[in-house]
Amino acid sequence: MSRDIDPITLAVIKNGLDSIVDEVAYTILRTARSEIVKDVMDYSAALCNKDGEMIAQAKTIALHLGAVPEAIQEVISQYRDDLKPNDAVILNDPYQGGMHLPDIFMILPIFHEEELQGFSVVICHHTDVGGRVAGSNASDSTEIFQEGLRIPALKLYEGGEMSPILKAIIEKNVRVPDLVLGDLKAQYTACQVGAREIRKLFEKYGVEAANLYFDELLDYAERMTRSEIADWPDGTYEFTDYIDDDGFNGTPLPIQVAVTVAGDHLYVDYNGSSGQVEAALNSTLSYTNSCTYLSVRSVLKGDIPNNAGVFRCIDVSAPEASILNPRMPAPCAARALTGYRVFDAMLGALSKVVPDRVPAAGEGGNTVVCIGGYRPDQTPFIVVDMICGAWGGRPDRDGIEAITNPSQNLSNTPVETLEASQPIRIEEYGLIPDSCGAGTWRGGLGIRRSYRLLTDSATLQLRADRTAFSPYGLSGGAPAARCTNWIRRHDDGDWEALPGKITCKMEKDQVVRHDQAGGGGFGDPRNRDRARVSEDLWNEKITLAYAAEHHGFGSDET
Amino acid sequence: MAILRLGVDIGGTFTDLVAQRGDGTLSILKVTSTPDDPGEAVVDGLLQLLGDIGAEMSDVTEIVHGTTVGSNTILQKLGARTGLLTTAGFRDVLEIGRIRTPVMFDLSWEKPEPLSPRRYRREVRERIGAQGDIVHPLVEDDIREAAEFFRAEGVEAVAICFVNSFVNSEHEVRTRNILEREFPELLVTASYDVLPEIKEYERTSTTVVNAYLLKAMRRYLERLASRLEASGLRAPIRVVTSQGGMVTANTAADRPVFVVGSGPAGGVIGGARMGAASNTDNAIVFDLGGTTAKASVIEDGKPMVTTEYEFREGISSPSRFVKGGGYMLKVPAIDIAEVGAGGGSIAWIDAGGLLKVGPVSAGADPGPACYDKGNDQPTVTDANVFLGYLNPNGPAGGSLPIKPERSELAIRTAIAEPLGLSVVDAAQGIRRLANLEMARAIRSVTVERGKDPRDLALLASGGGGPVHAVEVAEILGISKVVVTSLSGVFCSLGMLSADVEHSFVQSVLSPVDGLDMVVLVNAVDSLRARAIERMSTEGFAEAQVNFEYAVDVRYIGQSSELMLDFEIGMSADDIRRAFLDSYHQLYDYTTEEPLEVVNLRLVARARHESALDFRTLRPEEVPLDRPDDRNVYFPSNDGFVSTSILARGDLGDTAVSGPAVIEAYDTTIVVPPGYLAISHAGGSIVIEKGPGEGSA
Repeated sequence: MSRDIDPITLAVIKNGLDSIVDEVAYTILRTARSEIVKDVMDYSAALCNKDGEMIAQAKTIALHLGAVPEAIQEVISQYRDDLKPNDAVILNDPYQGGMHLPDIFMILPIFHEEELQGFSVVICHHTDVGGRVAGSNASDSTEIFQEGLRIPALKLYEGGEMSPILKAIIEKNVRVPDLVLGDLKAQYTACQVGAREIRKLFEKYGVEAANLYFDELLDYAERMTRSEIADWPDGTYEFTDYIDDDGFNGTPLPIQVAVTVAGDHLYVDYNGSSGQVEAALNSTLSYTNSCTYLSVRSVLKGDIPNNAGVFRCIDVSAPEASILNPRMPAPCAARALTGYRVFDAMLGALSKVVPDRVPAAGEGGNTVVCIGGYRPDQTPFIVVDMICGAWGGRPDRDGIEAITNPSQNLSNTPVETLEASQPIRIEEYGLIPDSCGAGTWRGGLGIRRSYRLLTDSATLQLRADRTAFSPYGLSGGAPAARCTNWIRRHDDGDWEALPGKITCKMEKDQVVRHDQAGGGGFGDPRNRDRARVSEDLWNEKITLAYAAEHHGFGSDET
Repeated sequence: MAILRLGVDIGGTFTDLVAQRGDGTLSILKVTSTPDDPGEAVVDGLLQLLGDIGAEMSDVTEIVHGTTVGSNTILQKLGARTGLLTTAGFRDVLEIGRIRTPVMFDLSWEKPEPLSPRRYRREVRERIGAQGDIVHPLVEDDIREAAEFFRAEGVEAVAICFVNSFVNSEHEVRTRNILEREFPELLVTASYDVLPEIKEYERTSTTVVNAYLLKAMRRYLERLASRLEASGLRAPIRVVTSQGGMVTANTAADRPVFVVGSGPAGGVIGGARMGAASNTDNAIVFDLGGTTAKASVIEDGKPMVTTEYEFREGISSPSRFVKGGGYMLKVPAIDIAEVGAGGGSIAWIDAGGLLKVGPVSAGADPGPACYDKGNDQPTVTDANVFLGYLNPNGPAGGSLPIKPERSELAIRTAIAEPLGLSVVDAAQGIRRLANLEMARAIRSVTVERGKDPRDLALLASGGGGPVHAVEVAEILGISKVVVTSLSGVFCSLGMLSADVEHSFVQSVLSPVDGLDMVVLVNAVDSLRARAIERMSTEGFAEAQVNFEYAVDVRYIGQSSELMLDFEIGMSADDIRRAFLDSYHQLYDYTTEEPLEVVNLRLVARARHESALDFRTLRPEEVPLDRPDDRNVYFPSNDGFVSTSILARGDLGDTAVSGPAVIEAYDTTIVVPPGYLAISHAGGSIVIEKGPGEGSA
């Protein structure tokens, strides 16, 4: 720590920044228009120093924020001398600082005494940005041009005024202009709150001192990260996981990673991963970076501040024209699935570095169920439902059932709310016994959800993965049950299997069911504490047959 | 009969008691809590307090009680062995929950264990459709089979929650009747009776918590009543609800889920009443205890109420950022945010060399280092002792002896030396960080809900609130601090100002466009009839009851509602207008999209004729020896200043200029340089910047 740094002021400024960025996040929540922001909370907020390094992050979607550096560099390189107070630049182009089109970044330069001193950043997932499918999120687009409006780094606000040209273009190209423009205004208001509060810090401590402390906070996070990595054994650690296929052809898509620990630095290389694909599963390098940072951050021990100091310790590379660094015009909308698998592959590799800190694989990302059609009165309806999830067994405890994937923090839709507004009846929503990967510490159970159609006919779009590749176990733990999709065409009929990714017709009173994968096991199942096996049996989370097969449990032991 | 009412609040360290007499005279007492059997301290304390004022238990006209039995039973997992009957296919609704986590980057997080384990969750074949239609008839034998199983397994309490029962409760009613008739040993709670609202997880969780608490709450209240009766009590015992009303002990015993937040609610309702009586009806009620700081907002003299919150270990916050970590209770409760920064919060240095305060707390036992009871880590209280804010002979009227040298040693060893700081700088660093955390609780109930804290006054209560209040107010730009009367026992005091109150809800679910008012009027009639019946069991006739209706309204398709006042005679247009106004205030915009009414709510209130009137309070000050002046550290002076120390009882109505410290039996009030403290009738003290003084 530098001699000019007072440790008390440092702690005070860190708390101050955390408070400011939370206030930015509250402001969005309060003023945004769309449900995806208000209810699902798919947005995030950050503050950056004048070099574009993130100095604070709100407790929002973690995965957005590793992409901030690239977006800001784009803005700095284009506008360096042309940024003025109350300007705000937006962008969403995955090939110029963005991630996928629905995520619009807004970057507002913070001026103090006429000097650029930092940036206030807010990213929102917008309800629609045009393109061939409502929601701009389809996985079966084949070019980015089908996915919606691409916005390069442009000033939406100049001197506090919204650009009429950009506004008109957005208005004409999205399906719900009120929501999109409303959310963009909320982003601007929130960015301004961040700028206003940061200026107060400059006034209180002086620009030079405040910047010194910001730098120290980055150094502090870097120091904490490096001191942990330095304790990790040097070497290169590889892992490969797979996406089933891209929905067009049945070829498995490898996500291959080599993590090299060299002293106190990490090099992460995705060489060997699948080439870019026809479907919209391509993840831009910025998103690949985000997923990588998040994976590393999740296995670090300390209460490290969420700032760019952590990123300084990690270098990421992915081959050109691969699924993790695609070339224009590869589509990107459904890159979330690829991100989940990057997270799984990274944790697999890290488990070889710090085996006592990494859980076995979880469910592998949420399954998306869309059912759309017409009600008996001919009004249209669309159900978009997400099913999630399970965590794998951990080095010192069981996994968790019915839990969001750790890289997101999404919620589920209440059955009664869904039934009140849609011609759907949920027939079952529950845990699937025996679906956990066995281990000394077992994974979480998978979840089952089934949908009965109550109107004449509809189109079903089902996107699941992990139907061909099970969530892996670690340290001798068993893999978990895979995802399966089913349909029952008549009440007295049998369940017929459906493929993982499918678009098909559904008729009245047919029932579609998704059984999601569980979490993998950790450690040899034979070493599982007998009392825990008994408890799982007692709770009917596993059957006697499972206990016998995996734990050598005799029926007399219960 | 002369009025003699007693307010009792049980805290982790102390049980606080306040006696109110007809002329407004208030007498107070703090006794050590008895966590293993909380009723013991209540009975002993009451007898002691009655002795102090020369009264008998038989003179008491009413006891108002804030109980922590509900919250402690959940935290310590001491509730009944609880079964749950669900619709076939929905056995795991309780365990699935809403799948969010309250933390980021923490792969060692644990989801709270369901209060009814999977084995005791049994399915019943039945199904109600979304419109209330019967899709599958109730199979009564499934109920009997499950109940036999419960009997064999020693299950004590059973919750019933079926899908869509909020539209049609027929199956739940029949299930309940069968259980009560054929299995009378089971304690039964059905969701329609607790909370007939849409959203199956929230309703199931609430019903299960109620069932889980039934046994403990009944036992506690029955024992308390019988002990007090044995000591001569002939008056009713009432319990404060999470919403800040009062109900009889019998109601609390049947519906314990409504009194889980009993204790803190008393302080907020007191703040609201006090504010209303002193033209401070828009304020933040700030309470600082041993492990946490709590904040809530009162607006136009009324506390802000939320219709759902999560109860969890440590910090129960309604903030949307930290959902998923606790037990969902969808019952009305005062909206209180809590952060882990209290007097006992421990200061420490993390692996990267950064000073942190909390959330780990030394609690009351072993307590701060200066208690010398086995904790040598420095706490916020230790910083306050070292800096001279707290009396080195012991705060709280000297009832707890302390060793100030232990504070200094702890701060020096754990913070000052490792960071290369003086003990003074380390101590004031601890205090500054604690102040920032406290300000954060306030931000989350103001800024997060679209309110500017600068428009509000800060009402400080709790033993520690007035020690930090002015500096916390400065952080937030708040210019007026009001130290409540008897702030160290303010929760007990506040309880005495509560109304008898019951809440009811009925699902309506119809679009506002073309709303059939008959639907609402019928719902009003049915809720009103239930309220009148409930109130008559409390001894109030219809004419004494005030009925306040509200509707929950939302944009069709959104998942969160706004609660709006509703009066008979309002049209659909009036409802729309009220919604748009309120929505605009909260979110700064509105749209023309269609709306729907989700629920009708009723709060029935009977104003207690002897409820505490804050305009005529006459607190009886516990006499203190005139404290010696001492040196106190003030950041504005960047050093210790010779400071006059006053006893609150000696203040009179002259203004006190800072720097000053005002001590009382129950609290310590810090007046920094540049501030002026003025005592008001009823015992409150207003602290504001003095005229022409420099800023602190």
